[in-house]
Amino acid sequence: MSTIVLAPVAGTALALAEVPDPVFSAGMVGPGVAIDPERRAGPVVAPVDGKIMKLHPHAFVIVGADGRGVLVHLGIDTVQLKGEGFELLAAEGDRVRAGWPVVAWDPAGIEATGRSPICPVVALDAASADVSGIAAGSVSVGAPLYTWR
Amino acid sequence: MPERRVTVQAEVGLHARPAATFVQRAAQAPIAVTVAKGGGEPVNAKSILSVLALDVRQGENVVISAEGEGAEELLDELAAIASAP
Repeated sequence: MSTIVLAPVAGTALALAEVPDPVFSAGMVGPGVAIDPERRAGPVVAPVDGKIMKLHPHAFVIVGADGRGVLVHLGIDTVQLKGEGFELLAAEGDRVRAGWPVVAWDPAGIEATGRSPICPVVALDAASADVSGIAAGSVSVGAPLYTWR
Repeated sequence: MPERRVTVQAEVGLHARPAATFVQRAAQAPIAVTVAKGGGEPVNAKSILSVLALDVRQGENVVISAEGEGAEELLDELAAIASAP
């Protein structure tokens, strides 16, 4: 059974190693890919079908029926913003389909606070070998980002 | 079973860097390790998903438990990570 993980935002796909945060860049949270988002305000969508297990303004985790969790982190060190610049479009515990909006944000506004708006999209508890078909270059919102075997 | 009870000091709670560091250390151990919040159900400390789901905030207590070879040393290390500011 494999899961296609979709891009939660439009932008440029980057290796996690390029994320300006040692925890993500070292793969300590898990394997995946990051997106340097287009600097355009708009919704961030669910990368997989599932339940919103955790919803913070700056990050959320969606767990599929198979128990796999995908973390979307909106920018780096954005927990410090305490929700400013983010608007929740769903609630913790909601069941969503891949592509449904979860949070709205403005990456340019995040950047203006001096923080990176880069978004790691991480396969939690996965091994690096479980993730393949990683997108490179420009990605549209809702486009396939990688496959989690 | 050997256990440690500590208060999470990090401002972000047991999330982000503290959570990743905690889980990475637990996952290196050849023995089972669990973590529970307050008096709640213990979860697998080697799972980042489980630890994030616990949603431990700054100032909350966790109980870390493990049994077997190296348990005491492992628990000391995990307790230090969980209680680091």
